[in-house]
Parts: sequence; structure tokens; C-alpha cells
Amino acid sequence: MIGRHPIPPRRTSLEQPVPPAVETGRSRLLIAGAMFAVAFAVVAGRLVDVTLFADGNEPRLAQSTGETSHHTDRADIVDRNGVLLATSLKTASLYADARVVLDADEAARKLATVLPDLDIAKVRRKLMSDRAFIWIRRHLTPRQQNAVNRLGIPGLDFLQEERRVYPAGPLVSHIVGHTDIDNRGLVGIERAFDRALGRKGTPLQLSIDLRVQHAIHAELSSAMETFQAIGGAGIVMDVNSGEVLSLVSLPTFDPNKPMAIGKEARFNRATLGVYEMGSTFKIFNTAMALDTGRITLGSGYDAKDPIRIARFVIRDFHAKRRWLSVPEIFMYSSNIGSVKMALDVGPIAQQEFMRRIGMLRPSPVELPEVGSPLVPNRWREINAMTISFGHGISVSPMQLVSGVASMVNGGVRRNPTLIHQPDGERPKGTRVISATTSEKIRRLMRLVVENGTGKNAAADGMLVGGKTGTAEKVVGRRYKTKALMSSFIGAFPMTAPRYVVFAMLDEPTGTKETFGYATGGWVAAPVVGKVIARIGPMLGVEPVDPASDDIRRRMAINIVTEKDGRRQLASF
Amino acid sequence: MMRGGTIFWMALAVMAGIGLFLLKYEVAEMEDQLADINRETLINLEAVHVLKAEWSYLNRPQRLETLGRDLLSLEPVKARQTLDISDIPLRPDSAAEIPAATATPPAADHLPPLLAKYRRDP
Repeated sequence: MIGRHPIPPRRTSLEQPVPPAVETGRSRLLIAGAMFAVAFAVVAGRLVDVTLFADGNEPRLAQSTGETSHHTDRADIVDRNGVLLATSLKTASLYADARVVLDADEAARKLATVLPDLDIAKVRRKLMSDRAFIWIRRHLTPRQQNAVNRLGIPGLDFLQEERRVYPAGPLVSHIVGHTDIDNRGLVGIERAFDRALGRKGTPLQLSIDLRVQHAIHAELSSAMETFQAIGGAGIVMDVNSGEVLSLVSLPTFDPNKPMAIGKEARFNRATLGVYEMGSTFKIFNTAMALDTGRITLGSGYDAKDPIRIARFVIRDFHAKRRWLSVPEIFMYSSNIGSVKMALDVGPIAQQEFMRRIGMLRPSPVELPEVGSPLVPNRWREINAMTISFGHGISVSPMQLVSGVASMVNGGVRRNPTLIHQPDGERPKGTRVISATTSEKIRRLMRLVVENGTGKNAAADGMLVGGKTGTAEKVVGRRYKTKALMSSFIGAFPMTAPRYVVFAMLDEPTGTKETFGYATGGWVAAPVVGKVIARIGPMLGVEPVDPASDDIRRRMAINIVTEKDGRRQLASF
Repeated sequence: MMRGGTIFWMALAVMAGIGLFLLKYEVAEMEDQLADINRETLINLEAVHVLKAEWSYLNRPQRLETLGRDLLSLEPVKARQTLDISDIPLRPDSAAEIPAATATPPAADHLPPLLAKYRRDP
């Protein structure tokens, strides 16, 4: 009806021409109407789109209000069986706004009634200051928090914090370590995995078995008491995966009371301490000599006379004063024989061998407290001689255990680890000795427990093998004769070793039962024997009859002995 | 006719309004309930967490050992108390061969070596 063309006169009564103003108004109205139509079309289109096409349904899951999952700021640490070793608990910490506190004197006195060990004078001084935030006491128990609340002192308030708790306490203190009051790792795994633990998430599973840890802790503590030793160390390692099942250093400390830890207890003898290990090194010396092919189990050396070199005299502790075969040198722990064996191989090959089995570098275990070995700067002949029986080189017990594990597991070196490895998985290792040499070493170690210096380490049906070690401690620049480091390193079952067990006592003194002896065979070997008797059944090691034909054949060793100047063959 | 339609639509609109109003309050109430339950869950989870810590504390091997020694008449398993399954003699083939109840235990030389070794003599 509305148009630019004039309306035909005959169809209307108004015949006047349309004024220009009205014409403009109409066309504007038309434009506006068109624009509105477009706008409505857009709105309608969007409405159809939203209601029919996009997200046509109600959301299937309602959005939950509030948090429903519980998490702590720091992840838990558990043992290989999932037993809690460290966790974080929420606690309330008391602080004050000194500007709001009305009567500082009264507040301090009242607080002391519920927190008895509070220093009233100090708190009063703090409350008199004009600071907006002062800590009164951190990590209150719920009961203390309630008591403080009931005092109704204005200006006091609580801040929710987390506190690290160690349910297993002193038992695993040197492994797990502890944190400071702000939950930053200071010692042990807490320090080594500080970042990872702080990222919340799943618990950190260690390779430690708390039951094994207890067994070795208990036996070592009781031996320490019996022999009045000043310290001790113990390690149990899975020879095939390198997992550390137990690591004990005595004396120990309570990680729940970090302020009360003495310097002596803080020291980790199992990884941080480096010691001259003594005769346990003969395992490495013999393996090295056998592996080069320079000697066989049938070879032997003249061990009649002590060796004199420079100002030293090298003697045998269990002197036989005759020609000794290789198994006898190992069994009776002859220093003279070992020295001659090492000289046959030479210092250069010995140094190379020690490097290969990890004796020249700090142990790669995941603890911040790892000691660097003390090794000779120049590896001369005299060094080779003393190192053959474990003197003139100081290593940590962890290095020794890891080295022996690679000697008995078929000859493959794997890094020791404190982190749980998936079952049956063997980390890639490097071959250090041949499988045949490893097999011979097993027979020799078994011989020591059956007939040699390590008889006290025998455990019923567990087929223990091992080697004793007794070293005089270096005090200042000289050896102290009365201060010994007595150790025993054992493995079981010797047909196919699964675990290495190490025990060491620091400065033990002999008793009437040991005839005054404080050597490895008398003080440390029984610890290993008892530990293996306890943990063997626990770890599912099947007991065998050591007298059975099959076992005898597999552990048999031919020993050439000399009697009245003639060499004879004896079989063990 | 026109008026009837208007009344119908108006009534419908009012009813829809009232319905929506009631529904909104019902949902709000349910959301409050959910928040309460969530808060309670969280408190319980925290309590469980504390209890777990306490449980591990009470299960310290030292404590269990002491309790076991004092309260139970059990001893740790020794290696010689375990046997291989193949060391246990098979049952005789037919029922007739089973000795009478009064039968004496088989002689030591009928037992496999391990069993014979650990047999308790009367």
C-alpha cells in the first residue's frame, strides 16, 4: 500500500499530492522496519540453534558444589607392601594479631595454663609488640586447640597447616628422613624426592619391606648391645633387581622429633660412612683373578711366610703356614694368598675392575647422604696389595653390597635403588664378570659358611654363603688395633641367590661366649644368620636340605690341600 | 471465545511461573544438601586419613612382635616347618589299602628323606 508512486486518484478521497515530509517519514519507517525484521530473524535463528541443535539435552552430570576429594599438600611415602611410612596430617597452628590483643600479660598467663611449656615472658613480649602476625605455637593437637579456643582471648586465631608424621618412627628414619617445620625435605627420601612429593599425587612406593627392616634392626640392635658396639649398619638387597629391601644405620633417631636428633644418630653409616671393609673385598679379589683366567680353583699360592713391603708386614689372621689353594685362601681368609693373587693380575687391571664394579664412585642410590669412596691417587703395587684384602680403599656399605650382588647374581651390575620396581622386572645392567666366574664365587662363599670363618652365619635350610670381614679402624693416621669394624656379607640361597644380607658392627668388644673375639665371624656372622632365618620364610625362599645329593653336587668344590709336602685332592 | 482463550493462556503462564519458582527452591535446597554431604564426606575422608596413620602406628613391627610374644602361643615359622608339596606321600589307590584307624604310622624308611628327617619320634 505504501509506495513511492502516487496513489491513483480514483481510489481515494484525498486527492491532494503527498507532501515531501511525509514521503521522507515513510521511507525512514520502511528502513527501520526492515532493520528490525533482520534483527528479529537473527534472534529467532539463534534461539532455534541454541534450543534445538547445540547442547539440546540437559547436562547428564550435575556440577558438584564444593570439594569431595581429600588431598594433602605432600604425597605419602609407603613401603613395598603399601604400609604407610610418612604422611601429612592437618593441624592447627596458633597465631596472634598483637594489635587486637587487649591485655598481653593476662593473655600470656592464660595461654600458659593450657600450653604448660610456653615461655610466658617471651610470649608477653611478643604480644606487647604491635605486629599483625606472630606465631605462638605451631601444630597444636585438637585437644590443645579446643582448650585455647575456650580461653576466649581476643586477637588469637588458628591457621590450618599440615604436619609430616612418620608412623614407623625410628625404624626407617635413615631411609625416609624428615622435613622441617614448613614441610621441606631435609634428610633422606624426603629430601631426594622433595619436588616430586610436593606435587601431591600418588604415594611414593619404596622398595623397603618394613618386616625385613624390623628383622635386621632388631638383630643388629641386640648384637650391638651384646658386644657394646658404638654403631652398626645393615642392608638387605634383591640381587636381581638392585632393590634395597632394608637399610639400617644404628644408632637411629625419631623423625617425629627432629629437634632432638644428635649428630651421631643423624649419621648414616650404611650409605654416608666409608670404611675399609677388610676381607669381604676378597670376594672381589678372587672374582677378578678367576675372571681374568690367570688362576683357576685348582691354583694356589705359598702362604708360609708373611710378606714384607716398605714398612708393612702382611700376615694372616688364621695363619696356616703352608701352601694354600685358592678355595683355602678364600675359606681361611688368607691375606698373603690374596696379595699374591692380586699381584698376578696387576694394579692396572685391578683398578679397572674396581671401577667396573662401582667401587671408585659414590653409590648411585637415591639418597642425599651418600659418601664418596676414598681411593688411592696413584694406584701402585703397594695399593694393589692392600686393596686385595680390603685395606687402603674405603667404600660405603651400600657400594660393597651392590658389588657383591653383582658377583653372585650371574655377573651383572645393576644400580641399587630405594624405589619399588614392578614385580619381575629386571633393570638393564652391565656385565662385570662371566656367569661361570659368578657360579664359582657362589661355591666359594658357600664353603666359607660350611667350613670356613663364617660358620656362625648358617641358617637352617637357607643355604647361606658369605664372607667375613674384620678391619682395624684408622684413628688419626694410624690403625687402632682394639677398634675393629667387623662385618659379614652373606647371600642366600646359594644355588640361585636372591638376596644379599650385610651386617656391620662398629667397635665391638668380644664377650666370654666369643672367647674375647670381636671379629666379623664372631659378631656379625650370627646377625646375618639370624636375619636370614627370620626373613627367608617371609620372602618365600623355599628351604632345601643342604645334605641332599642335588645340593651337594651343585655346591661341590674340589680343594687341593698339601699334607706332608704332598698335594691331595679333597672334595667339599 | 476470545476471552476464554486469553484466560486459559494466562492461567497456564501463571502456573508455569509458580512451578518454576517452586522447582528453583527445591533445587536450591537439594544443592545445600549436596554441599552438606560433600562437607561431611570430606570430614570423614580426613578422619580416615588420620585413622590410617594411627593404624600404621599401631602396626609397627616392634609392637606386633611384643604383643604376639606376650599374648599368643605362636612362634615364628622355621625353615624346617615347611615342606615341598612333592614330599607329601600320595594317597593309596583304593580305599581297601587305607590302613585301619589303629594303624601305626609308616616306618621311617617308607617316608621321603626330608619327612623322615623331621619326623617326630614317639
